[in-house]
Amino acid sequence: MSRPDSNDRATLAAERLSLAYGRVSIVDSLDLIVPDRAFTALVGPNGSGKSTILRALAGLLAPRDGTILLDGRSIARLPAKEMARRVGVLSQGPGAPEGLTVLDLVRQGRYPHRSLFGRWSQADEDACARALWLTGMDALCERPLDSLSGGQRQRAWITMALAQETDILLLDEPTTFLDLAHQIEVMELIAALVGDRGKTVVAVLHDLNQAARYADHMVLLKAGRVAAAGRPDEVMTVESIDEVFGVTACIMSDPVTGTPMCIPLTRGRPATHSRGDALLREGNESGHSRSLRLQPQSCLGRNPDGKTEVKPAAEKQT
Amino acid sequence: MKPIVAALLVALAGLSAASLALGDVTIPADELVLAIVNPAAAAQDTLMIVLELRLPRALLALLVGMALAVAGTIAQAVMRNPLAEPGILGINAGAALAAMLLIVALPGASPALLPWASFAGAGAMAAAIYALSWRGGTSSLRIILIGIGLSSLAGAATTLLTAFGEIRDVQRAMIWLAGSVYDADWRKVRLLALWLSGPLVLAWLGARELDLVRFDDDTARGLGQRVDLLRALTILLCTLISGAAVAAAGLIGFVGLIAPHLARRLVGPAHSRLMPVAALTGGALVMAADLLGRTVIAPAQLPAGLVTALIGAPFLGYLLWGRRHVPA
Repeated sequence: MSRPDSNDRATLAAERLSLAYGRVSIVDSLDLIVPDRAFTALVGPNGSGKSTILRALAGLLAPRDGTILLDGRSIARLPAKEMARRVGVLSQGPGAPEGLTVLDLVRQGRYPHRSLFGRWSQADEDACARALWLTGMDALCERPLDSLSGGQRQRAWITMALAQETDILLLDEPTTFLDLAHQIEVMELIAALVGDRGKTVVAVLHDLNQAARYADHMVLLKAGRVAAAGRPDEVMTVESIDEVFGVTACIMSDPVTGTPMCIPLTRGRPATHSRGDALLREGNESGHSRSLRLQPQSCLGRNPDGKTEVKPAAEKQT
Repeated sequence: MKPIVAALLVALAGLSAASLALGDVTIPADELVLAIVNPAAAAQDTLMIVLELRLPRALLALLVGMALAVAGTIAQAVMRNPLAEPGILGINAGAALAAMLLIVALPGASPALLPWASFAGAGAMAAAIYALSWRGGTSSLRIILIGIGLSSLAGAATTLLTAFGEIRDVQRAMIWLAGSVYDADWRKVRLLALWLSGPLVLAWLGARELDLVRFDDDTARGLGQRVDLLRALTILLCTLISGAAVAAAGLIGFVGLIAPHLARRLVGPAHSRLMPVAALTGGALVMAADLLGRTVIAPAQLPAGLVTALIGAPFLGYLLWGRRHVPA
């Protein structure tokens, strides 16, 4: 696992972390460092422990063994509210009671900043206004949550997490159930939070290409352990995709951003590269699949230096 | 917010006046005003009826209604279930069992012990339900399921006990179980008011905690709320409040369920406003139920608990009908 440059700001890390639900062990002795002021994507197949690890990082799941460290101190001893002032979390498909408006929801984000009987302060009001402005939800703040579309509702929840004003934000599949436009919107928002506001974001993501495109740091998980971690172009290789997902894939360079893109070739078969090549040749011969015909040279597997600087094959042919 | 509270207060005042004026002996308005404003000038029997019989009864109904409504509001928030009410926490069943046990096992016991026994039963039941649903933490659903299970167990035990009791004692217990404020007196009113004042204020001060705990566990915990601790404290609070109401008036059902819903319609879901409005609504409901119960088929009296059930059962149906498209 590669260690990103660390500086002396608040850092989140897991040390020899073991997690279990009841007797079912999910994660065993995992070490993880969340790079500061960067966007970390947790990716991996279903059941690889992504969400479980995220819940543990947020202090929602007590480790069976090992520790979660915030600034080098175990979070187990941190008071719940203080933890919530440092680390915000948005779980997957969170439930809200009936009849709440967007503003009602966003205001809950101020909970950890208020004492038991403390009054609503100007700082609370300002934080909510800033969060609403950042996500562009200010126009919808009087609307009931039930009346929003899926994308708007997700943005409302993100707004609540932003009103919490934490340095670190943990998001569990923030783009699931969103259409393409809203996915991009959420990813751009996260990138802006990291780039412009210096936040540290960890997000569980399903779309490898989106993760590679927006994340600074990528952690590829398989069965509760880290299969690869580092910059997206280091992590997304033909070998790692094969190992973790059992899928033969081409790794190309995104024509827009230059980040790696994963294009799967087969699924659910014993994945060998020759099988992939054979399929590609078939595609060529029958000529029924233009995209397949164009790809073979861009497969990283046959690229000796393993870099992603491969031009789209399409350019060569035209 | 303000006009609604004002309207509720006016309605309550009207109900109170009706409660004081109506009954076996109808007191004309001018005599009623005189009895309250200038007792020295009023007729002795009017004073007796208004101040010693009807006023404590109306006040007890008000307090019991407020308590049940606040307990219901808390239960619905903590259980995250719009159909929850204090009965879910086993409070009614525990109180009934303890009262029946007292009457059957200790036939010579003073009736004054009945409220204390029922309160103890309610508390023991709530504690048992919380303890049994603890599994390295609690969950609303587990509490609800165990609450329903233990409640029906206690209900069966209560029914069984009636078979062994002296028929007159059992009848007395049944009347008490039906829920009524007929034996109200000033001592009872003062005791209940004193007992409730602390927990009711605490419940109101904790409004913000209730606002948050209605979300799911992960959201509430993620924002720094200590959910298990809060659940334990609110269940204790709920038991203190509704246990006292049950001890004072027996089992008056449906108020804890209906009042929070009506209040939510009026002022929305924020507990800082919901709580007082629900309390006023609940107070008005029990007062109205008692007034109806003792005037509609006078001289016979229907216990208030019966009247609230007659109103409440259709309301529950209406709630379920309104939610028929809501999944789960």
